[in-house]
Amino acid sequence: MAEISWPWQYNFPPFFTIQPHGETRAKQLEAWQQLISEYLKATKQSTIDIRESQNSPLFNNTAINRKLSQESLLTILEDMAKTGRAAPVDKSKNVWEVYWHSLDEWGNMLYNWASSNGLNNTVCTLYELREGENTVGEEFHGLDLNVLVKALKSLEVRGKCELIEFDDNQGVKFF
Amino acid sequence: MRRRAGVGAIQKQKLEQEKYKEKGSEIQENQFQQMCKQLEVFRENLEDFASKHKNEIKKNAQFRRQFQEMCAAIGVDPLASGKGFWSVLGIGDFYYELGVQIVEVCLATNYKNGGLITLDELRSKLIAARGKAKKHQDITNEDLLAAVKKLRIFGNGFTVIPIGKGKWLVQSVPGELNLDQTLVLQKASALGTAWVSASILTGDLRWNETRAQNALNHMVKEGLAWVDTQDTSETLYWFPSMFAECVSA
Repeated sequence: MAEISWPWQYNFPPFFTIQPHGETRAKQLEAWQQLISEYLKATKQSTIDIRESQNSPLFNNTAINRKLSQESLLTILEDMAKTGRAAPVDKSKNVWEVYWHSLDEWGNMLYNWASSNGLNNTVCTLYELREGENTVGEEFHGLDLNVLVKALKSLEVRGKCELIEFDDNQGVKFF
Repeated sequence: MRRRAGVGAIQKQKLEQEKYKEKGSEIQENQFQQMCKQLEVFRENLEDFASKHKNEIKKNAQFRRQFQEMCAAIGVDPLASGKGFWSVLGIGDFYYELGVQIVEVCLATNYKNGGLITLDELRSKLIAARGKAKKHQDITNEDLLAAVKKLRIFGNGFTVIPIGKGKWLVQSVPGELNLDQTLVLQKASALGTAWVSASILTGDLRWNETRAQNALNHMVKEGLAWVDTQDTSETLYWFPSMFAECVSA
């Protein structure tokens, strides 16, 4: 697991109980969202399965014997969804994608990378973007495939690229 | 047969009274002039003293405290006014400046402590914020208390809550804490745990259930306490302002 510097709240026991007071809860949710984003970024993950959440040290601080319940996590994720920082993948809202960058930000990042490498109007495979040697060191290297596709689709809507399907592979052409 | 008082006697009496009165006001006038003279001398001396030791007062915390005590003993408050002859002391300015910085620290930490901060944390944050340029200006807890008291003129937005053993909390959100809520804070501070529970209050303070719960609920409603329902025995109420990791964050 990647090193992560836990914020003070992580060791503050009531942090793991959703607060009843509105203002306090807002602070709590904000702190959770930051923590979740940073944790996933550090561990290069993009999805959270609520049913398995308590296996992760993120939601289960054994040192102080406090866990974030599944309902509480759902509350936090739904709040993140309001600002476009997360989205449910399945209808039962068990699996969630978390965007530590918004989809637009991801899209811009990809587009800038392509432009600065002179790849406009050439076709790249998604595999190249995610695993290729050229993208090592880029933030989107190793990014979850679904998130990558969504980011590219948001870029496609803005007319900056086109997603292309060939054989059983996917590619993208930046304009 | 008794002689009735004559007109002459009455007039004599009247004359005497008038003379007494005259003498009285003369003495009064005298005293007043003397007082004025004394005050003038005192004022000159104090101004002298203050301007001579102005830097010392600003820099030396111990000296400042003694000066404050001296002023208190003769019944003057050098902080009371920025105008008039006290302004030459520049003491007011020192505390006004401190007051502004206190407000800044309180606002900057509000997001985590809900507007309640220990005097110690306030002091260390404030000293850090003042930076190296003024490192020779020691700030003591007394200075902070004096400055916070000055902030009270803005209403009940800034209050100092004694929590025992020479410790204080500074509350920077409006809303008076009643005696019970202050006792809750004192208890949490005395335990050193940063939390209390209803059973601690009913046990140690001999409160009944309702009284304890009311006090705790109010602290939650004010955003000062966080609820923790995951303890095995009961609900705990935590104060981030006293939680060590929060204080150092």
